[in-house]
Amino acid sequence: MSLIRVRSLSYTYPGAESPALSDVSLELDDGEYLAIVGANGSGKSTLVRCLNGLLVPPAGSVSVAGADPSDPVGRAAARRALSIVFQSPPDQLVASVVEEDVAFGLENLGVPRQEMRERVAAALRDVGLESERTRSPRFLSAGQQQRLAVAGAIAMRPRAVAFDEATSMIDPVGRDDVLRLMDELVAEGVAVLHVTHDMDEAARASRVLVLSDGRVAYDGSPNGLFASGEAARYRLGLPRSYAAALELGLEPVVGESAAALGHRIASSDGPAEAARRLVGISRTPEARAAAATGSAATGSAATGSAATGSATTGSAATDSAATGSAATGSAATGSATTDSATTDSGGASAFSLRGASMRYLAGTESERLAVDAATLELPSGAITALIGRTGSGKSSLLQLLDALALPDSGIVVSLGRVTAEPGTDLRAVRMRAPLAVQRPESALFELYAGDEVAFGPRNQGLSGKALVERCRAAMDEAGLPFDEYRDALSRALSGGRKRRLAIASVLSLEPEALLLDEPTSALDPASRDEVMRLIRSYADRGRTVVMSTHSMDEAARADMVAVMRGGAVVAFGPPGQVFGEGWDPAWGVGRPFAYELLEAVSRDGEATQ
Amino acid sequence: MKGLEFWKHVSIGRYVESDSMVHRMSPSTKYLWLLAAVLPASVSRSAIVVAAVTLLPLILAPLAGVRIRFLLRGVLPVLPFVALAAAIQLLIAWPNDASPVLARVGPVSVTAREALAVLTMGLRFIAIMTAIGLFTSVTSEGDTARGVEDLFSPLSSLGFPARPLALMIAVAFRFIPIIAGEFESVVKAQAARGADFGAGARGPIRKAKAYLPLLVPVTIRALERAEALAEAMEARCYGTGPATRYVDTAGGAADVVARIVAMLWILAALAGPALAASVGGS
Repeated sequence: MSLIRVRSLSYTYPGAESPALSDVSLELDDGEYLAIVGANGSGKSTLVRCLNGLLVPPAGSVSVAGADPSDPVGRAAARRALSIVFQSPPDQLVASVVEEDVAFGLENLGVPRQEMRERVAAALRDVGLESERTRSPRFLSAGQQQRLAVAGAIAMRPRAVAFDEATSMIDPVGRDDVLRLMDELVAEGVAVLHVTHDMDEAARASRVLVLSDGRVAYDGSPNGLFASGEAARYRLGLPRSYAAALELGLEPVVGESAAALGHRIASSDGPAEAARRLVGISRTPEARAAAATGSAATGSAATGSAATGSATTGSAATDSAATGSAATGSAATGSATTDSATTDSGGASAFSLRGASMRYLAGTESERLAVDAATLELPSGAITALIGRTGSGKSSLLQLLDALALPDSGIVVSLGRVTAEPGTDLRAVRMRAPLAVQRPESALFELYAGDEVAFGPRNQGLSGKALVERCRAAMDEAGLPFDEYRDALSRALSGGRKRRLAIASVLSLEPEALLLDEPTSALDPASRDEVMRLIRSYADRGRTVVMSTHSMDEAARADMVAVMRGGAVVAFGPPGQVFGEGWDPAWGVGRPFAYELLEAVSRDGEATQ
Repeated sequence: MKGLEFWKHVSIGRYVESDSMVHRMSPSTKYLWLLAAVLPASVSRSAIVVAAVTLLPLILAPLAGVRIRFLLRGVLPVLPFVALAAAIQLLIAWPNDASPVLARVGPVSVTAREALAVLTMGLRFIAIMTAIGLFTSVTSEGDTARGVEDLFSPLSSLGFPARPLALMIAVAFRFIPIIAGEFESVVKAQAARGADFGAGARGPIRKAKAYLPLLVPVTIRALERAEALAEAMEARCYGTGPATRYVDTAGGAADVVARIVAMLWILAALAGPALAASVGGS
């Protein structure tokens, strides 16, 4: 008998018009590794919640380890058999001490204290957090917090663990740790259900379930899904290596690593030919640096098509490579005119930081250095991507640029204004270069989308026809046509549209620069791509964008990349330089797929020579 | 840092981890000693008892490795209130006050009885504030909640929800930084769009309206996060049956002794003066 059996499950939220799930059937055995994918709002989380009775499914439609979660007795048994690791790391930690949090589930099960101690210790060992046993979870990184949540789940010795977008809010290194834990669970015979938007992650599973508008659109091997060419129809993309292989006219293989694909390219063509095909230029020593820059185009092309499967994004990516080299030029002039840029807003730098430091809770025991003597000239009219691990200071740096925070020492110049100077109109500075904070949609407060967009320009003193025109332009630019969406209920919009509405409501300030803190986090692949295109079209009109991201492939599509580590800016340059010869594994940020591929090919070349 | 304030990093309570003998006491013992200071300080009429109770936290502080200066700093916020109350005491003459006059400034005279009353009141505040300060310095968030569970556990056989109450306290602690963080993120999001909270708005309705951009999203986010936490707790089998506890707070022989001493102290402080008076009177 299967571990999980779902038979024609339909679920409608109270008060909703259309069902969140309709006629879903599914069987899952012990030790299976299932990825559940689908667009934002396709019913993935609803399905997981029906499995363990967080939502009450109709009687008889769900069975988990033989128990029916629709009745109270069965619910307890179902929850014992199926643990869930949720999306947001801090929102699932209950206790104020690491080991006590792991024990929370065991306490509820009534496990005797001695056994509890052993199981907590074993679980912490499994996730590599023994040394943090007595600390407060508050002081752990997001990735560590998520591993702690996994420890809390496995301490209960479940037969299955569901990960509900559990890797979407943590950095690449934290993500790899959690993915490794999934593999270990599967190896031990525990079934894993992984809800994800990332097709590379989905490709790791042995089976993929695609939900579309609450229905099962596909249930089978990852290979079958991606080979069918149907992925784009469900707003899904392709795994990066799969898309890259297609791009190069090779047989795509699901789950292939960059190294394996690189080897395949090199052995089929010979390394020189392979590199030529990858970057489109001959591989002379002089051209190598240039080749690295040029391969940004390959990187974007790969991710572009991975996101939508369409050819149009490919050309957009080529544009980005072109502006990339333009930005390199302006960066050079920017550093040449450092001194004159202080008061001149027309200079080549939109923002500059000179030895800027910022600390939280200065003078107390919890004092923490968030930005450490950062010196940086951000070119105007270009997209700069900020990368680095969680807690490396990206958000703090963005707040310094927006004058939401002022430096404790050093100087920050935001569009020609020294932010910490007395007499600087901070409100004006903020509106000229507004920051969209992380998950900006959570700050929406107006009932209707149009009013939300109008909040900013109203604060600027606009009214009447000018206000309407401003809102129309912003919403149209954000891909939410004014006539169609101005009376839409803000909170009822889908995840991707809500994010774009939040961006529209800063665009309506008609800012000279845009600061975005993780603008694409937790979005489905198609929505991510929409947001990235919106950012590109904004920058293409000569305006400046600074954005933080955990996606290295997105960073490779920017014109400039700044790397942060421990509050300091440790590298800054065009993507080709930062991810090419300038790249340092110690940053802990991973590398765009195209650069991994290039590296694999050239390493293969060196090995055969 | 300067600029918009940053709240979520502010630590809640003043617990400092340490391994002193006071720290090692079980939470219910600590609650009992808190009571031993706060109860006589608030109800005893005897100036001697109040003075003795004021010394209690100051004697225990070195044993706990807590600096006395740190405890006394906790009194600062209530000083304006104490000063105000003292002023009223002194300005209004007591009826039938036959005690000798100590000082006279214009029409206001200070009698010995008034001086004693003002002094006692000041000591009461100092005793209560330093006792609470010491308690929070030596008791972790988790123990603060567990102590409540232990204290009320005798009632749980009568159906009193001791464990849910303790969990509620623990979750409330967890939520203070969460809500502060949400508040901060919303303030920053709206400030980036030119919001200017309250400034310039006249009249209560317009003023309230200026805060709407804060209140609506913060409330919604608080509810969303509460729901997320509730789901996570439920998914981990909360409330499915009789629960056990990971942390042992029963305490050892030292705790038993400390509890007995605390109870004797409370008894002596409350009944002592009356007893002494009756002995002295006979």
